[in-house]
Amino acid sequence: MQGNRMLVAELANETIRAISGSMVAYDGAVTFKNAGVGGGDGFKAAFKRKMTGESLSLMDVTGSGTVYFAVDAQDITILELANDTLHVEASQLLALVGQLRTDVKFTGLRGATSGQGLFTTTVTGTGTIAVLSAGGPIIALEVAPQYPLVVDPDAFVAFHGQLNQTFVTDVTWRSAVGGGNGEAFSLRFDGQGIVYIQPEER
Amino acid sequence: MSIQIHNPGTLPVNDNIPGNDYAFCVDLAGTPWFTSKGAMIAYYGNVAFEPLSRTNLTAMVASQFSSPLYADDWVVAQGQGKLILGDRGYNINSFDLDDGNLTIRASNLLAFEPGLSLKQSIVPGFLTLLGTGKFLASSNGPVMFAEPPLRVDPQALVGWADCPSPSHHFDAAWMHSFLSVVGGFFGMDSDEERQFDFTGAGTVLVQSSEKVLDDGHVYRHIESQTVQLSQASLLQLHRSIGARIQT
Amino acid sequence: MAMELENYKVLKTTIQPGQRVVARQGSMLYYTGDVTFTPYSMSGGGMPGAGAIAGAAGRMMQGEHVGLMVAEGSGTVYFGRNGLYVQVIELDGTGALTVEAERLLAYEGNVQTSIVSLSSQGGVRGAVRGAVTGQGMFTTQVTGYGTVAVLSHGGTVSMTVGGAKPQVVVDPQAYVGHLGNITVDLSAQVGFRDVVGRGSGEAMQLKLSGQGTVWVQASEKKF
Repeated sequence: MQGNRMLVAELANETIRAISGSMVAYDGAVTFKNAGVGGGDGFKAAFKRKMTGESLSLMDVTGSGTVYFAVDAQDITILELANDTLHVEASQLLALVGQLRTDVKFTGLRGATSGQGLFTTTVTGTGTIAVLSAGGPIIALEVAPQYPLVVDPDAFVAFHGQLNQTFVTDVTWRSAVGGGNGEAFSLRFDGQGIVYIQPEER
Repeated sequence: MSIQIHNPGTLPVNDNIPGNDYAFCVDLAGTPWFTSKGAMIAYYGNVAFEPLSRTNLTAMVASQFSSPLYADDWVVAQGQGKLILGDRGYNINSFDLDDGNLTIRASNLLAFEPGLSLKQSIVPGFLTLLGTGKFLASSNGPVMFAEPPLRVDPQALVGWADCPSPSHHFDAAWMHSFLSVVGGFFGMDSDEERQFDFTGAGTVLVQSSEKVLDDGHVYRHIESQTVQLSQASLLQLHRSIGARIQT
Repeated sequence: MAMELENYKVLKTTIQPGQRVVARQGSMLYYTGDVTFTPYSMSGGGMPGAGAIAGAAGRMMQGEHVGLMVAEGSGTVYFGRNGLYVQVIELDGTGALTVEAERLLAYEGNVQTSIVSLSSQGGVRGAVRGAVTGQGMFTTQVTGYGTVAVLSHGGTVSMTVGGAKPQVVVDPQAYVGHLGNITVDLSAQVGFRDVVGRGSGEAMQLKLSGQGTVWVQASEKKF
């Protein structure tokens, strides 16, 4: 297959946690179970999700066999996390393995006028994360104090590191993305870290 | 993490992001670029995007961008920095024109240097680039380069260079079998009966067909053409459009 | 005749006089040479077992979504559809390829297609499966010796059924087709809604057992 649009998990009496609806095929003795309230990230996070509308529904896939995961032909990238936190768009998270905990984090206000809050999902701990990238392979961009980065929020996938995230509503970006609907803000990252973006805008 | 991490110093200069046919890095170094709205997915540096109507480069816009129907869809990017462009997950390629001309589907043109000038093609939904410079085009799947004579599905046509503008070709066998069954032509939409016929020397760019976007370009083009119609023709058009809306 | 991939979204076919390619209407991207295209009526093209089922199936096959055409003459024709990925499958005369009609891009004219009622294949369960996969009661069986080009969203993986893997379970939305001596069964599994179910009525799985190959696409998106 061209590219990496299918995640293949070989399970030997193990468990992988994946986004509900992402299994396309399997063989062997494998069971699927909803990971619980709020997708298994605990009552507090579930409550926050309910308040924020940030949706994340995970299932536990347990057993022995081969399981294939895919979502809308998106490209899949494996990231390793070592006692760290990854901030990721809930819609771009595919699967988790290891000692990882998911939560919801407030990331700022969408523009000065609407005052609508924005939230992202965080994954914390040590383990392996599969993330989705629409339109082609994910692009990893380094941010350092001497070179901040501006991204289209619709192309943002994830970030990690010591990054400060701000929503910019400057006129020049609005003209670049064609706004007019009042949502033409951009995401600016300052600090030190890595930002992941995808080639296709949501 | 095994994937390659880029920064402004390691990003390519006017080339695809390594290993990624679907994202392109433009090096903005003093000279401005025309970029289509919405193609920008990220940038480093001091970059300003200005609408064509509100840029300080009025003279450049007036001389190089001669397409009022599309002016709202484009901006001038200027400053110092690296721009990353993407378009619907389409493959992105850069092309160099050397005192040449190329006509391209408007929704597949992402950016061009001001050494090129842009004009509206006679063919609705297409734009013509003239002059010398670089431009970026997207295609649904890898772009195929073909030499005339050939016939192409209008939806699969990305553009053409050097050869004469195409004419319509209607497949005789297809028309025959359909006319006998359907008894009419208007509203038929299965493509094969209508093709663009290319002749002469040149290159035709083709992609996997796309669902033609209802992008407003073609609509504006057609609407602008209706000024040529008489009152009677306008009424007739009104009726036939009404009939189509009902079905 | 030669039928091969030009790129992962485009099929290239070289036609010589006397040969024909059957393809999905609207899928011709461009061609060189002298080629004509005519709408193809499946019911006139050797439908086995005429009668009520054939009539109904013929109507389905001529429906807007699966209209076919014949390309004949001398030249090279390129086929593709809406940026979907193309998979070329070679039939060696031994097994039948079962594929949903809407996924057929093109096939060589000497390959036989027949529309089979799933009820004759998998009983009531099979019929249910047809309904679930959004394809009514019918699916297409391709037999003979030749090349078939099949569409998928985002490409496919092929999985072997049989031997160490006696049973493979597939999300009906991601199922593309299968080749060989395979029995398809549809069933609901408790809790399966969590696995595939974003909408309602999707808590179903296709169980394939026997000996052969099944193709699965990298997406749950039907087209």
